[in-house]
Amino acid sequence: MPLKLLLQLSTRNILRHKRRNGLLLAAIIVAVGAVTVSNSLIRGMQYDMADAAVSNLTGHVKILAEGYRDDPNIDKNFVLAENWQPDVAAEELVGWAARVRVPAVIMSERGTRGIQFVGIDPDQEDISFIGQAAYDGERLTDGSDGRVVIGRALAEQLETTVGRRLVIITQGADGLNREAGFRIAGLYDTDGTSLEKIFVFTGVNTLQKMVGADVFTELSIRLVREPFLFQFKTSMIEFFTGLEVLDWRELEPQAAAMFVFADAAIFIWFFIMMGALIFGLVNTLITSVMERVRELGMLRAVGMRPKSVIVQVVLESSILMFIGVACGLIAGWLFILWLGEGIDLSRFAEGMDAFGMRTTMRPIPLAGDMLLVAGLSLLFGVLASLYPAWRVVKIKPLEALRR
Amino acid sequence: MSSDIVVSCKGVSRTYQEESVPVHALRGVDFEFARGEFVSIAGPSGSGKSTLLNVIGGLDRPDAGTITVDGVELNGLNETELSDLRLHKMGFVFQSYNLIPVLSALENVEFIMQLQGVGPAERAERAMSMLDSLDIVDLADRRPGDMSGGQQQRVAIARSIVTNPVLLLADEPSANLDSATTEDLLQLLRRLNEERGVSILTATHDPIVMSYAQRQVNLRDGAIVEDSAAKVA
Repeated sequence: MPLKLLLQLSTRNILRHKRRNGLLLAAIIVAVGAVTVSNSLIRGMQYDMADAAVSNLTGHVKILAEGYRDDPNIDKNFVLAENWQPDVAAEELVGWAARVRVPAVIMSERGTRGIQFVGIDPDQEDISFIGQAAYDGERLTDGSDGRVVIGRALAEQLETTVGRRLVIITQGADGLNREAGFRIAGLYDTDGTSLEKIFVFTGVNTLQKMVGADVFTELSIRLVREPFLFQFKTSMIEFFTGLEVLDWRELEPQAAAMFVFADAAIFIWFFIMMGALIFGLVNTLITSVMERVRELGMLRAVGMRPKSVIVQVVLESSILMFIGVACGLIAGWLFILWLGEGIDLSRFAEGMDAFGMRTTMRPIPLAGDMLLVAGLSLLFGVLASLYPAWRVVKIKPLEALRR
Repeated sequence: MSSDIVVSCKGVSRTYQEESVPVHALRGVDFEFARGEFVSIAGPSGSGKSTLLNVIGGLDRPDAGTITVDGVELNGLNETELSDLRLHKMGFVFQSYNLIPVLSALENVEFIMQLQGVGPAERAERAMSMLDSLDIVDLADRRPGDMSGGQQQRVAIARSIVTNPVLLLADEPSANLDSATTEDLLQLLRRLNEERGVSILTATHDPIVMSYAQRQVNLRDGAIVEDSAAKVA
């Protein structure tokens, strides 16, 4: 088959109707560009949700005492060897943090709230939101720090601030209520307000003393890459016999479901956009080939095989799609660069927070997504041209020449 | 093929249905055409001359009878085989030129050689040589839209004979040309016939065209009513 000849004919036929094909090309560029940008924003939301879920004191893997999830009490605890280290290569590990977390009541002069009181070693908390949050005042210095840090939103509810004292009541390991006064070292600030209202932090040793037990209630481990998770979790299950070893998807099922949905959303959005585009493409190609029925009939009359006519029409569509997809990807990429750090949606902070999303919608373009868009677009372009090509070769050369 | 017969039609019939009314375009036509002949099929509109040309060219299929072109019987060939036969054995000159509008004259002449798989250098040389022999080398870079009807028909003839076909089929080649251009064109066809030995079969009702052919076949109502050598002008 004279592919070079067909390519030449297809290219020139495209250039023959510059305005019509230019408009079609513009539509392809807009569709592919829009899909590229929207995919990157969906990926950004997806990764933010996953990151927020993992940072929410969860880690990729969390070890809890049996029954702690149903009854989060200091009784459901475990002891961790002083020199314990996860059995994992350093390049696969971001870090780990052992904590004590108990339900408690916090009181200021002006208000009382139910909270989660968490004892932490600040040096270990690079893996969670509390290690990454902005502060008014000071951070906790170490595991023996006897002060607390509370969320800005909780401080507003309690009408208190840095330097003031608070009283916290919780249940000790002996089952009796323990009450202690704490000075506020600092107010932490996260993207949303839900975490700020719930979590109050102090040094892990301070809380262990308060509840009267040198134990932990949770151990969070954060990995560098998610694909390693299954293998690592299996090794942790074998190591921590008698404890619950859970990954972030089990601990944050809503975020996990949203993560999966985002994958599907990329395809749904792609098929909606390309579906609309393909109708336009088929329509244009039918118009284009039906205008040239006589010419295509002549080509067959002088000896061009029907198969070559089909290839010529398919090539026309493929060339248009190839140029459109390439320009669309570039346009989408440039738009993503223009967006930079993302779109500020802080006006909708409450709603975003409810879904565990950050208030800035940042684009994350993935090469895999772009290849998928390019590959499927080209495939759709070829499929869309088969019908007009089939229609034109169904017409006998003689009939075509008479038109 | 060593035989002197290029085209042989035996009992060829073709009937069309036009609004449920059968139209007998050809009724048992028997016809032979020797290598190197210049034959004109003449007759009034509706006599079946274009239909005869079309069935010989494999563009239409007869309802009955057999057609053999250069020893190949057309009846059993599928669409692809017919395409290949037209590509390698026949040249076509159409009433309305039918050049490819997006290609230059040179590219149009090269086109069929490209389909045949002739290499670029040989293709260009043969195409230029053909344009030169038809005195249209100055049109090489022009596209059909920039040429007159006569010029386009010359390019169409160049395209049809550059591959040295066994048979050149020309359907009303002068229909869109003025008489001076028609005379030029016919001189050219005669020269090709005499000097290159191209076998030419033309369907026409133009007396000028008929006068240039060596042999004239008259059709009426789908049947041959006269078959005689025409007087050369």
